[in-house]
Formats: sequence, C-alpha cells, structure tokens
Amino acid sequence: MKKTISALVSVFVMLTVLAACSSGTDSNNGNAGNSSDATATSEASATPAAEGGDSAITGEVVYLTNRTDMIDKEYVDYEKRFEAKYPDVDLKFEAITDYDKTLKIRMASGEFPDVVLLPTIPNNELPDYFAPLDDIKFSGDIYFKELKAHEGSMYGVSSGGSSVGIVYNKKAFEKAGITDIPKTYEEFLAAAQKLKDAGIVPLASNFKDKWPLDAWLYDVPTLVGAASDHQNKRAESDAPYTMDNAYGKSWSILRELNEKGFLEKDINSTNWEQSKKDVATGKFGMYLLGNWVINQIVENGAASEDIGFFPFPVDNSGQAKAPLNPDWFYGVNKDGNVEAAKAFVQWMIEESGFEEFAGFIPTLKDRQPKLPQLAEFNSFNPTYFEPAPPVDAATQIQNKAQLDQGAALQEFVLSKDPQKVLDKINESWAKAKKDLGL
Amino acid sequence: MFGGMSIQRQRKLVIFSFITVPLLLLLTFAYYPALELIRLSFTDWDGISADKSFIGWANYKEVFSNPDIFGVFKNNVAYFVVGLVQNVVAIYFAVVLNGKLKGKNAFRLLLFLPYILNGVAVAYLFGYVYDTTNGSLNLMLGQLGFDKLAGTSWLGQSTIVDYSLASISFWRFMGFNMVIYLAALQSIPSDLYEAASIDGANGWQKFAYITLPNIYKIIELNLFLTVTGALEVFDLPFVLTKGGPAGASETFVLQIVETAFQFNNYGLASAMSVVLLVFVIIVLSIQRYLLKGKGE
Repeated sequence: MKKTISALVSVFVMLTVLAACSSGTDSNNGNAGNSSDATATSEASATPAAEGGDSAITGEVVYLTNRTDMIDKEYVDYEKRFEAKYPDVDLKFEAITDYDKTLKIRMASGEFPDVVLLPTIPNNELPDYFAPLDDIKFSGDIYFKELKAHEGSMYGVSSGGSSVGIVYNKKAFEKAGITDIPKTYEEFLAAAQKLKDAGIVPLASNFKDKWPLDAWLYDVPTLVGAASDHQNKRAESDAPYTMDNAYGKSWSILRELNEKGFLEKDINSTNWEQSKKDVATGKFGMYLLGNWVINQIVENGAASEDIGFFPFPVDNSGQAKAPLNPDWFYGVNKDGNVEAAKAFVQWMIEESGFEEFAGFIPTLKDRQPKLPQLAEFNSFNPTYFEPAPPVDAATQIQNKAQLDQGAALQEFVLSKDPQKVLDKINESWAKAKKDLGL
Repeated sequence: MFGGMSIQRQRKLVIFSFITVPLLLLLTFAYYPALELIRLSFTDWDGISADKSFIGWANYKEVFSNPDIFGVFKNNVAYFVVGLVQNVVAIYFAVVLNGKLKGKNAFRLLLFLPYILNGVAVAYLFGYVYDTTNGSLNLMLGQLGFDKLAGTSWLGQSTIVDYSLASISFWRFMGFNMVIYLAALQSIPSDLYEAASIDGANGWQKFAYITLPNIYKIIELNLFLTVTGALEVFDLPFVLTKGGPAGASETFVLQIVETAFQFNNYGLASAMSVVLLVFVIIVLSIQRYLLKGKGE
C-alpha cells in the first residue's frame, strides 16, 4: 500500500514537472507566434508608408541601447519628447551590457529590436539584417556617411563623433611651469620632462589594460602617416609592420616615452579607475585618449575648467592634426518597424541632445560641439582625418593570423629587441595572407 | 491505478520517472552542446553568418601545427605546481583542525571563507593587492623592512606572473580542499588510532599508515579538481592581466575565448575546446593509472 502511494506521488510529481515543461514550450510557441504576428503587422504598416508618408509612423519601437546608465533617467525624458512628436508610437528602451557579443547572438537567432547599434560585422553582411537609411532627410550634411555602407546604400548613422588627443590637467601643467601648449614633438618631450621633474607622472598610458593603447594602433599612425587608411593598406603588403612606416614610428614614440620614464612607474601594473582620479587631482598630467574621457575625469572630481584638450604633436612640423572617429552607429532592423525606427534615428541625431549629453562631436556637420574642451581643441585648427571605410581583406587576414595588435604593441614596448617583434607578426601576417589566397 | 501492476513494474516505473527529468536536463544542457561543439569544430563558422561550411580536419591541424596555440600550456604548469602545494597544506590544516584545538571551528571558518567569494571579485580585489606602487602587498613588505622587495612588479614580470596568479587560487581554494579532507578524516574510526597508540605508534606513523590510506580516494578526488582547475584557469588572468605581459600569463582557455570572440573564429575555438576536453581525459587517465588500486 505504502509503495503504491509513493509510486503514485512520484508519478504525479513527474507528470506535473513534465506538464510544466510542456506548458512552458507551449507558452514559448505562443510568444513566438505573437511576436511573428507583431512583425507581420509592422510589415503591413510599413508597406503603406512607402506610398503614404508620415502617417505610417505608428506602433512599437524598441531601441536596444548600451547606455544602461540612462535607463529610468534621461530616457524617460526622451520617450516623453519623442512620443509627443509622434503620438502613435510607443517607444521602448532596452539596455544590455556586453553589447556587441549579446547583439550578435540575438541577430543569429533571427529576432532583434527595431533600432540597434551596429555590431562589428563586415559591411557586406549589413543588408542581410538592416534596412538602408538613405531616405532619412537630415537637416544638414552628416559625417561618416560612407563607413557603414554597402553597394551605395547607407546602413548606419553615427551617433556622434570624437577626436583623440592629449587630455591634460591644467593645474598640473601650471605646477610644472609649462606655459605654452606643446606644438611639436620636441616641445612635447620637454613638457613631459618638466612634469616629471615636478614629481608628476607625465602621461597615463594604462598600458596593462591594453584597450587604452588603441590610440597608438589606430590614431597615432593616422597622424604620423597623414592618412587614415593605414589599417586597410596592410592587406596589400606581406610586411605591414616595419620600423620606418607609420606603425613602427608610432609604436617607437610610446617606447621612447616609456624609456624616458614619462609613463607610469610600472606600466605592467596600471589601474584604469585609479588613473582617472589621479588625472583629476593632478598626480598624473596627461592622457592620450578620446574626448569622451573628459566627462569621466570631471565625474572623478576635477573642475571642468581645469581639464584641457589639445592635438597630439606627433612630429616637429608644427601642423596640428587630429583623427575624427565615429561612435556607435544606429542601425534599423529590416524586419522591424522600419518607418518609425527611421523617425527615431533622425530624432536622436537632430533633437534628442544625446551628443551633447555624451560629449560627442555632433554628427550634423554644421552643428558646433558644446563641450568647452572641444572648442579649445578646435582653436588649434587641426586638420581632421575621417576614417576610411573598412576593407574586409585586412580584417580577415588579421583574424586568420590571430593578430592582437594591442598585445603586439605591448610586446614591442617591453621587448629588448623591437625589430624581432615586428618580424614575428609580419611572418604570421604573410602566412595568413597566403593561406587565404589574398 | 497501480492495482494491477506487479511490484517489479512499479519499481521500474518509479525509477524511470525519477530519472527522466535530470536526464533530460543533462542531455539538453550538457550533451547536446557538447555534440554541437564537436560539429562546429569541423566548420569555419564565424559566429554570426548562417552558413557553416564543413572544412574537415583543418581546424585540428591548425591547433597542433601552430606553436602559439599549444605553447601556452607551459603557463598552466604554474597552477598545477601551486595546486600540489595547496593540497599538501590543505591536508596539514585538516589534520591539525581535526585534533583537539581550542577555537577550531573559528579557524575552519576563516580558512574556508575565501572560497565563498565570487571568483571575479577575488581577482579584482587582488588587482589592488598586487599593484606595484599603491598595492597593499608591497606596502606591507616595505613596512616590514624589505625595501628591495617592496618595488616588485608582481604581475609585470613574465617569470613570476603565473605564480602570482596561482597564489590567488591557492588562497581561494585551499579552504575548500581542506573541508573535503576534513570530512574524510572524520569518517576514519577512532579505534584504529587507539589500537595503534597501544601498539606504540607515534604521530607520524599514525598519519602515514592510518590516515593517508584511508583518505586515498579523497586525495585522488582533490587531485582531479586540481588538475582540471589548472588546465581550465581563465578568470584570474582574464581580469588581472589579459594574458600580459607579452603573453606570459596567457592560458589555454583564455586563448579559446579570444579566438572565438575577438577573432571571430568559432570553428577553430571549438576545435581547441575539444582538444582541451581530450587533454583532460588523457591526463586523468594517466593519474588514475598511477594511483590505481592503492586506496582499495
């Protein structure tokens, strides 16, 4: 009897668990059905838009953002203002971290929100997932039109731009007795020496964390070679990294700064979070980073007027040069609520004020940046270099060769024989290039 | 409803129904992904595109022909060496804390506590401990008068970085090993020790001839954990050094992650994972062969 009861109970438990499983799948199916319904309706609503015009801007728009910090704060205001302009639209925000990876997985699953920030995929795959945005009529000319384009159609609009240069603490410069902003490399070294003599770490490299070295991989070579397509050009060569080209020269600058003791005392033990505080208090003098870091230094306790920004003088010509880099690009899911999503992208660029909040150079060419440091930067009249559209061949070779340029640069700076480091990466580059038949 | 069933059938039904659910979970979350991994290791999938073309053994050839990929195993040796020391220390503490000692529960707790902390949090925390200029370790060494040592770059020298990192896992997992040993020690009947005492055995003899043989199976288990742990280190170098300086703390799993998520070569990364799986099986078979029969 006892056994029968326990058998009964166990079977009952199992059945309920299994039943729960199956009802789970059911509801999943239900969801999938619903959402495909939703796409169907949005497609239906998108079709008349082609003929009709603004009237079709209705329905739900979901924007997948990387700014987790703006949820329930600025985005509440954005939603109110956007829905006031387009009353038929229900705007929703979804914030995720580890954006690039997560979005790629969701794209591979076939369903993702209407407006996203374009992930790192080759441009020729953009049309598979995203709608062309050429028909958005912006109020003026925009930057970075060519960057996320394929066969003449634009698939991404940059959310803003930034430049890279020397972000410095004015108080620290004052303390070290630096009166003039260095305009040549020689003057830069002299200024660094003065900072060092005053007991200030001249340049915070954040060497250990690797990503802060990106400027030395992409931007400094642009300035050294006065051309922004150096990463693409690598595909044409079997030995793209040589001592006398843009890479060798740029990397040698970092090596020289380290040898002269102008970087942190131990560059293998740097701390990014701490460095922001140290630049804010003037223990560290300078950063070579994008202007996005300025707001972060201010958040860490510096007065905004104490932080300045000037173009990095890579040579002794005295001519100011600076890269102009895009931030994330807005993209529109081609199977989503396309018309409303396009309206949202246009609104983000023209009316949201996001570029001011984020400290970006506006995407609209005729709009001036609000950040005072960017105004200071522009007073040096730098020649701006817009990035060249990426060429897949170079990326393919780099991935095939498993070349981590940041790690290579670290090795270059630390190694006793930097030429050997270049030889090594050139060798694997040439091999990968041959294997791919490029 | 079971009235017509024989006891035998009822037994089978119960066993079957109890086993189904865990088996289903196991198949969905362990075996299916593992099979998928093996399938992917024969493709050149880039992680996003819909087409996964079959390329045969090319990925495996790459794994074994590229010295950069296999060479990093030498960095894992440090974790294994420190893991052995960790087991010895764990047995020592287990024996000490199994005896009569005032406040032994407090000591047990203290030694076990680090294991409770989250791995990434521990790594982050040790970033501050090992910092060259502001780190607490160098500060302490300086206070104690070791001025030369106080400037050591613990994570910046290729010769010691792996041992610095392995020491963190020593700190973290020693208590865990100790608790397992403690449980084993407590299952040894005390009359064995009493009988040995009457025969005039000293402390060392009791340890070597009673304690060790009785916990042989547990030592094997702990070595298993140490070996797999050493082969699969990931979080510490990922958070603290990113494989630096100049690749000196790169581990195999770190390399797999980079291959997949940085270089978008999921096929090769899958092949590397399969190789790691096979490698773990081989090392464990060797270990089992060497220790075979001793605990029986």
